[in-house]
Amino acid sequence: MPHFDQTLDVKGAKCPMPLVKSRKAITELPVGQVLQVISTDRGSVADFQGWAKTAKNVELIAQETVQENGQELYVHYLRRTA
Amino acid sequence: MTFTPEQSTVTEISPRDLYARLLSAQPLFILDVRNEEEFKRMPVEGHATLRTLNLPYFDFIEDEEAALARLPKDVEEFIVICAKGGASQYVAEVLNNHGYRAVSLSEGMIGWGNYYDVRDVVKADWGRIVQIARPARGDLSFAVISDGQAALVDPLRHIQVYRELIENAGARLTAILDTHVHADHISGGPALSKETGAPYYIHPYDAIHPIDMLPAVIAYEPLRDGQTFQIGQVRITTIWYPGHTLGQVNFLAETPDGGRYLFTGDGIFLRSFGRPDLGGKGEAWTPILYRSMFEWLPRHLTDDTVILPAHFSTLDEDAGNGIFAAPFAQVRAQNDSLQPRSLEEFTSYVLSHLPVFPPEYVEIKRVNIGLVEACEGKASELELGKNICALAG
Repeated sequence: MPHFDQTLDVKGAKCPMPLVKSRKAITELPVGQVLQVISTDRGSVADFQGWAKTAKNVELIAQETVQENGQELYVHYLRRTA
Repeated sequence: MTFTPEQSTVTEISPRDLYARLLSAQPLFILDVRNEEEFKRMPVEGHATLRTLNLPYFDFIEDEEAALARLPKDVEEFIVICAKGGASQYVAEVLNNHGYRAVSLSEGMIGWGNYYDVRDVVKADWGRIVQIARPARGDLSFAVISDGQAALVDPLRHIQVYRELIENAGARLTAILDTHVHADHISGGPALSKETGAPYYIHPYDAIHPIDMLPAVIAYEPLRDGQTFQIGQVRITTIWYPGHTLGQVNFLAETPDGGRYLFTGDGIFLRSFGRPDLGGKGEAWTPILYRSMFEWLPRHLTDDTVILPAHFSTLDEDAGNGIFAAPFAQVRAQNDSLQPRSLEEFTSYVLSHLPVFPPEYVEIKRVNIGLVEACEGKASELELGKNICALAG
């Protein structure tokens, strides 16, 4: 698990809300810090990758899938770069 | 902006509305807001009057103005679609707020992929032949209903559609006929047989997985060439047609008014024919397909025999009314792949027109003869995308 500074819990939120909330949270994050996003939406894995390619001042550092109480969690790590 | 799906004022259209519009050949514009990879794997297809733009929803979240600037200005209405219907609602609302007319496809591509269209091919005093299509995949299946009896040909995975159709017709299912063991989709035949007790028929050559060389473990009745079924006043005759698979058959339905309807499965399509390589032995099976196509089947064909295949490749193949059928004389005239060729010419034609071999097709055949189980999640994953059973054009 990479180092992170803040966590955004969007469990249960359906597309497009995980990304809408992440975009907002990243904007409020100090430059250089890392945001951990925890989602239950499987589609978020490919969508965060696609978004990070063109997103301004955002770097997708890592993604992981973990099990929690029999539920799959899709975890994204985003750094604010500028 | 703030967006809450519950408060959205966006107008939604159903998969049924979408299909009606796709068939109508009116100008349409689809704004597909999925990521590029998902869009490429399975776009919504239509007539030449359909224009499509892929602009992911996260582009609208990242920079709304820039995304809006990429929209064409000459569009009357955008049909916005995504994977499940959430992101399309979001984007349609953005568009509406900026003065564009936009509607969102409810349930997204999942709903579209699982949408079934049911309509009569023919209805007469002896009964009906019904086409049951899954348009997103280009899959076609049929029901023959006469005097309270029903037979199904190539039923697809969502079996409730067939059960309702037969129940509403006040009929009883007496035979489930698969033209072959399918590679591109999961058959509804075994499940229907289990639920209704009606026998499930396949040719025994298809009851052996061609790559695993393992026998079927599902319950089935073996079909033989020439075997007939009486469904009310309709007689159905089995015609062995090896090539696409070794056990591929066609079913010829003859009606009391002299009508002849040939369910060709993945034999002849309206604009192509079924590829002989999905068993992993394309070169060995091509001469068998040649014999089926040019020597055996023509004995059963008349110019007015209506060809009813198990797939279409594009919506342009419909007869203008959502029915994917045509008399053989017309098929022969418009289907270049059926033109007379020597075996050598045919072989080189086939081998130079083979599309990609989707790896999941081997697994789907395992599921269809019971070698592997597939839950709903796995089944829908295996069936992602459109069928690739025809030779490339």
